[in-house]
Amino acid sequence: MATKWRPEDDEINEEEEEEDVTRYQDQKDAILFAIHVTDSMLIEHNNDPQNLETSAVRTALQCAYSILQERIISNPNDMMGILLFGTEKTRFNGHGSFNNCYLLMDLDVPDAASIKELKNLLEDEEAFEELMVPCQRKVSLANVLFGVNQIFTIKAPNFQSRKLFLITDEDDPHANDKAMKNSAITRGKDLYDLGVQIEPFFMNNPGREKPFDTGKFYDDIIYMPAQDEEDKPLAMTVKGTTKLKDMVSTIRSKATLKRAQFSIPLELGPGMVIGVKGYVLFKRQERGRSHFVYTSSEKPQIVSGTTTLLAESTAQVVEKAQTKRAYKFGGSQIAFTEEEMKEMRNFGTPGIRVIGFKPASAIKFDHPMGPSQFIYPDEKDFIGSTRTFTALYNKLMKDKKVALVWAITRKNSCPIYAYLSPSEEVRNPDTGAQTQPPGFFLIQLPFADDVRQNPEVVASKAPGTLIDKMRVIAKTLNMPKGYEPEKYQNPSLQWHYRILQAIALEEDMPENPVDKTLPKYKAIHKHVGKMVLEWGKELGKVSGGLSGGTETLRVGTKRKAEEDDGGVGKKAKAAVSTAMPPSDAEKHVRLAYKQGALARCTVQMLRGFLDSAGVEQKGRLKAQLIQQVEECLRK
Amino acid sequence: MADKAATIYIIDVGQSMGEKNNGREQTDLEFALQYVFDKITTTISNGRKTDMIGTIAMRTDDSANDLALSDPAYKHLTSLTPIRQHLLPDLQLLQSSLIPSSTNLGDGISALILAIQTLLSYCRHLKYIKSIFLLTNGRGSFDPDGLDEIAAQIRHQNIKLTILGVDFDDAEYGFKEENKDEKKKRNEETLRGLCEQVEGNFGTMQEAVEELWRPRLKVVRPVASYKGTLSLGDEIGYRETSLEMGVERYPRTAAAKPVSASRFVVGETPAEKEEGTKTGGIPSSGQALEPVRQARTYAIENPAEPGGKQEVEQEELVKGYKYGRTIVPISKTDEEVTIYPTEPSYRIVGFMLSRHSQYKPHHSLSSTSILLPQKGNPKAAVALSSLIHTLYELDMLAICRFVKRKSEPPIMTLLSPEITPEYECLLETLLPFSEDIRPFQFPPLGTVKTISGKQLTTHRNIPTDELETAMSDWVDSMDLTKLDADGQENDEKEKDGDDDEKDDFAPIEELYNPVISRINQCIKHRALYSDAPLPGLPAALTQFSHPPSSLVSSSATALDALITAADVKSVLPESQSRKRRRGGDREQVQPKSGLDIEALLASGAPAKKQKISLENAVPEFKQRLSSIKEEQEFKELAGEMMSHVKELVKSSLGSVNYARACELLRVVRDEAVEGAWAGVYNEEIRGVKEELVAGGLPAAAGGERKEWWAECRRFGLGLVTEEEAEGGVEEGEAKAFMKVEK
Repeated sequence: MATKWRPEDDEINEEEEEEDVTRYQDQKDAILFAIHVTDSMLIEHNNDPQNLETSAVRTALQCAYSILQERIISNPNDMMGILLFGTEKTRFNGHGSFNNCYLLMDLDVPDAASIKELKNLLEDEEAFEELMVPCQRKVSLANVLFGVNQIFTIKAPNFQSRKLFLITDEDDPHANDKAMKNSAITRGKDLYDLGVQIEPFFMNNPGREKPFDTGKFYDDIIYMPAQDEEDKPLAMTVKGTTKLKDMVSTIRSKATLKRAQFSIPLELGPGMVIGVKGYVLFKRQERGRSHFVYTSSEKPQIVSGTTTLLAESTAQVVEKAQTKRAYKFGGSQIAFTEEEMKEMRNFGTPGIRVIGFKPASAIKFDHPMGPSQFIYPDEKDFIGSTRTFTALYNKLMKDKKVALVWAITRKNSCPIYAYLSPSEEVRNPDTGAQTQPPGFFLIQLPFADDVRQNPEVVASKAPGTLIDKMRVIAKTLNMPKGYEPEKYQNPSLQWHYRILQAIALEEDMPENPVDKTLPKYKAIHKHVGKMVLEWGKELGKVSGGLSGGTETLRVGTKRKAEEDDGGVGKKAKAAVSTAMPPSDAEKHVRLAYKQGALARCTVQMLRGFLDSAGVEQKGRLKAQLIQQVEECLRK
Repeated sequence: MADKAATIYIIDVGQSMGEKNNGREQTDLEFALQYVFDKITTTISNGRKTDMIGTIAMRTDDSANDLALSDPAYKHLTSLTPIRQHLLPDLQLLQSSLIPSSTNLGDGISALILAIQTLLSYCRHLKYIKSIFLLTNGRGSFDPDGLDEIAAQIRHQNIKLTILGVDFDDAEYGFKEENKDEKKKRNEETLRGLCEQVEGNFGTMQEAVEELWRPRLKVVRPVASYKGTLSLGDEIGYRETSLEMGVERYPRTAAAKPVSASRFVVGETPAEKEEGTKTGGIPSSGQALEPVRQARTYAIENPAEPGGKQEVEQEELVKGYKYGRTIVPISKTDEEVTIYPTEPSYRIVGFMLSRHSQYKPHHSLSSTSILLPQKGNPKAAVALSSLIHTLYELDMLAICRFVKRKSEPPIMTLLSPEITPEYECLLETLLPFSEDIRPFQFPPLGTVKTISGKQLTTHRNIPTDELETAMSDWVDSMDLTKLDADGQENDEKEKDGDDDEKDDFAPIEELYNPVISRINQCIKHRALYSDAPLPGLPAALTQFSHPPSSLVSSSATALDALITAADVKSVLPESQSRKRRRGGDREQVQPKSGLDIEALLASGAPAKKQKISLENAVPEFKQRLSSIKEEQEFKELAGEMMSHVKELVKSSLGSVNYARACELLRVVRDEAVEGAWAGVYNEEIRGVKEELVAGGLPAAAGGERKEWWAECRRFGLGLVTEEEAEGGVEEGEAKAFMKVEK
């Protein structure tokens, strides 16, 4: 029998079981897009020279679609919805009667059907035009806001974060109707009291004569969140015609509630304590867990699992209270009470304590033990935390220093040694969006227990001549901006969800994975190809004495077998030959096919392969050649 | 696999070992046994079958050993345990056997010969790490006759000899026993001479015992996590201009975890009763522990079944994922497609400068690894060395894409050179993808903007010049760079300016994981003393959890100045809940425009006594609160909310209204806590529970709405406690209240 597969949601880790802090609300997010459909919002204009003309409504919907797809991965349990208002049509899914409001996607954890509807609407020009007809009547904003109120009240009553992204270009909807205006203001206050935060996205559209003036109406609708709340809107600036990309990134940064991992004291010295909060800004985004699914019912269902404890020898069911935790020792067990188990792990109450300061260079490359946490001041328990934190931050920035600290970030968690390293605020020069916040990063150090021994190795330093040849290669391939994480999507994660989407929406399976992590082979060949050859020659020269020439590199028998096997030898090599014999080309094309890497073969190689296979070449484009090769090899 | 090891402990149990010396509370034997038992329990807890121990007691009343029969020189020596893997019963045997005898006869050197004999007859020619520990007070007989031959034997057999003596003189450690008797002095000379001849360890017991707190780190053998190539360019498309070098990847750091506990059933199970007590367990505690395993059962929702659940067999289930709320079962054929196809490879994507802080340590997503040239491939070593030196000289890093095994997801890594006189390698850490970044935004530090956009230069959140200066002075006074590893000021350090981390304060090799060490300490302690409470925490284990005392005193003045300048005020939990008090004092909120919203609401407000509506309950409740002052008014409002809660629960199809009902409770509860009207809420929630228990809120299908109560419990919506607000109930009462009897 094959190894038994277990779903990931079955895994229970008892050691990690921690006392759960009582939560008063569901720690979930709900976001609702409310998009105003007006004539000016539908005027197609060119906001990006590289793109086709598009309207603000379309951009907003595309933005919602992008956010939707991101959130399927990053916030799989959170809700999202899209409401159009000002439309001729009305649809409101039974949450009451709200004229000229079209609930395109009800507020919920998205499902395949609603995603497909949105996708179709964006792709089907006719359907889009049919729906996007602005109504001729004046739309009551009070009505819209109460509609939003009802959506949140019914679908996401106790979510911790509820946000309304209000996208409109009409700055004074009730210019001549004081009663309507007051009524809208009242409904705005209702939303505030309900706990829904409005994130405005006001647009200056070409169809409007004057720039958007928030003072006319919306300043009476929108509230600044209370002083010390987690999530202050950065600014309520008025946006012009916005590029999709910028709109997505702005909304993305506000869509998820900034949730602190911990809120603990930072002790600078005896009697000098301030409050800080810790956030996770970097964390490997894993794909969702796998589940056991029951497919024999009407709709597939995720099963719920229950764990029972059984005595090993008798298979009798035992209650948790009857059990004790014990450690194996010398063939027996050493038992402790639950209190003792806790006591063993108790090293004091949570907090960060400064031990002293070192130069920033004290942080070595092999120090960080995992994603660091971002530390920002918190006034809640200690008034004056922000100014004191800022003074420390300024000093450490100026002197390029870091603080060595001892930290217990949560109750009963293992103490750690870490550096508090100041991070400078960085903003994107184009969009003004913050790309690195000001504060400290808590960089965890390894314990002596964590450091592994180096394997034994015979050092053989490369001679200067060889280093010279490598130096030019590294210099040429220097990426001036360094590593920019936002440019590298996780290809495996994206692929996983592309496939799930295809199965869920019953689409065709995608064929070509997008992988932005692959090196730019062509550019590397073009820029350093010759240098690599030079380096290879030099390596041959300098290593000649070591092992007697390039051809007699095979030191161990193990490696010889591997070399004969694949040709992609494990020895250091730089192929110096200029052209490949046809038979070699064939071998490589076959190998590339097996690895799904045909795209990396040169056109010449593909042609050579097709020639030798006796296939008539049908096209001149590389893609066509690849297709032919695939057909040929599939047989 | 670690090497096999055989270790013999020779413990002096002569009558004189029962004496107490040098002002110690313990006898010499007890003093020495601390060390022996620590060593032996450490070996046992490692649980390795190849880690053998044997024990010999010297100066015993009996003469139970193989050599004593034929040679009287081996009298008063006892082989306590033969060489084998020691288990808990062995430890218990040693504990009861290692007590002072009533004789001082028996020769230490004979004991050593016995140990060598035992060791050699066990290990024969096989590869073992052989060690002998001799612990004595040096007051018995140590006949130096033939010592040279013994030394030759020890050297020849490659045996590691350690001799630890109670109150032995040790100039290096700084101990000298006053009024030492002549015989002991002679014996110490003899033993020291022997150790010098065989390059063994000779020391005083005091030092050994003092170092016992120091955790013995588990040595993990390096195992390669990748063996393959590091390449630049495309070996398929641009074969002629690609380069590859054979590399191996090993962990540099990996988080060590404490040993994990397993669950056991306490007490005798029927099965054990039948078999009697032969099965073992812990004899001393008298309680047998039987292992527990976990069994999983699975169920789906099926309204037709009683209880709404239907059990399903594991065989009927398939693997699946969620796409939003859509469940996507993955058939066996689809399964392969879901895996992104990859081949093992390590590819250079580009290079970047590490200076100008382009490398950000907080980008690091993982512990670190190292890349080494392929073993036994000198050409690969030279090739990799040219890359290592290039990066080092240019202060650059290599950005790479790494696939560990076939079909594993690609990850982005960063390589940095490490060059020491003995060692060259590349250090590796993992980098984030775009999906791994949380785009949280934080207000700038040190600047404050008003709502209208005005930039302020003085504000309570902006440090004053005085605070900046005080902070600067204090940080300077807490500089660790002048301290050496022990926290002592060391002027020479700065001068020689070398970069050796080992001399720094709190070097990594001194930073022990306190949890791992503590748990090990407690296990070992309990194995020896099953009825004793947990041992004390060795202070040295957490010596770096506080600033070094020398700095604390020298920076005291600077700290005082900082405390004054910062003027931080602690907010007592009590005053937090007092922020808003009874009636009237509620904070006035305003929209961005500053409009008097309360006035607007008041003008348009419906007639006073109109009840709170269900659909707009929360806003109406909050708005009505702003105008009330009396508890009675709050009670009325709360009552209206509660009737909505009950109505929602009553009319709920399944669980559909539960969250909404919870939210109404939460809002009322929050206001009750803030307004110090705990009693009102508690009375109301008691009423709700009563009705629930009495079956007053039945579900259509006949359920008792217990699931709803469980939700209330999950969100902590029970009685307000006295900790939360005045007039609340005790913690215990609140807990009991949430329980519903079956």
